[in-house]
Amino acid sequence: MTPQQLSRIREEFTREGVMICFNGAFAHSIIEEIGNALRRYLQEQEEKKSAALDVFSVYIEQAQNIRAYLARKQFREPEAANAIIVIARKGDRYVVSSGNIVEAGDQPELAGRLEQIRSTDAAGLRKMFKERLRADTRSANGGAGMGLIEVARRCAEPLQFAFHPVDEGHAFFCLTAVV
Amino acid sequence: MELNIPRTGATPEIRWDASAGILSVSGESYPENSFDFFAPVMQWLSTSLPSLPGLRLEVSVSYMNSSSIKCMLDIFDALGEAHAAGKKVEVVWNYETDNPRALDLAEEFRSEVTFPFLVQAIGS
Repeated sequence: MTPQQLSRIREEFTREGVMICFNGAFAHSIIEEIGNALRRYLQEQEEKKSAALDVFSVYIEQAQNIRAYLARKQFREPEAANAIIVIARKGDRYVVSSGNIVEAGDQPELAGRLEQIRSTDAAGLRKMFKERLRADTRSANGGAGMGLIEVARRCAEPLQFAFHPVDEGHAFFCLTAVV
Repeated sequence: MELNIPRTGATPEIRWDASAGILSVSGESYPENSFDFFAPVMQWLSTSLPSLPGLRLEVSVSYMNSSSIKCMLDIFDALGEAHAAGKKVEVVWNYETDNPRALDLAEEFRSEVTFPFLVQAIGS
C-alpha cells in the first residue's frame, strides 16, 4: 500500500471516529484479542459500565455470528473467508459495522429475519429472545440463532443492513448496529 | 465426582465444592462454542445430581453471550427437574451494582425457574 493510500485510509478512519478496524480471517483468538482492546478503549472513554458492556456484547455477537457462518460455509476462495469489523464512536453513540460474504441463497432468509427484528419493539424483542431461548434450535456450529436478536436488544436504533452482489452466487452482507 | 474448570479470558471458572455443596460459576462467558464448553457441566449434573441431596448454585457472571445464556438455561432446567424430584435446590446470583445488564440477565433467568433464586447486589 502506498503512503498516499495509507493517508487516505487514516483520514477516513479519523473522520468516521474509528476506534478499531479489522479485516481478515476471524479466528476465535483474534475475536477475543480485539474484544480486549475494545474494552480497554471503552474503559478510558466511557464512564457508564452498561454502555461499555453493550458495545462489547454487540461486537461479540456480530463477530461470533460471522465466524460461525464462515466456518460452516468453508468458502474455497481465501478472500471470501475474510470479514471486516469496524467499531467507531459518533457523538455519544458507538457504531459497530461488519461485512462478510454470504451465499446468495442465504440472503432471503437472513433479510427476512432482519426485517422482522427491525420492525419489533423492545418488549417484542425480549419475547422473541425468550422464545428462541426455549426453542431447541442449536446449530452444529454452536450458535443458538439468538445473536441478531441480542444485538438488536442492545441497540439505540433499528439495525441497518444491506447486501451488495459480488458475483452470481455471492453477496457482501453489511450489518450496522448503533449502540 | 469432581468438577473444576479453570477460568480463561472467554470462559468462567466452574467449581464444585463437595463439602459445602456449592457449585460456583464465576467470570465471563463468551466461548467460541458454548455448547462444547458447558457439555462437561451438563454431564456432571446428570451424573452427580441424582446421588446428591441437592445443591446451591452460586453465579457471579458479569457477561454472557447469547449461546452461553442458552446453556445456562439448560443448567437451570436440570436443577428444576431435581427440585421437582424433591431435592433442595437454590441459586444465588451475584451482580455488581454498577452493572445493570447483569441484573437484567439474572431477572430474566429468575422468571424462568420455580425454585428459590436469590438475586444479590454486591458493591464494586
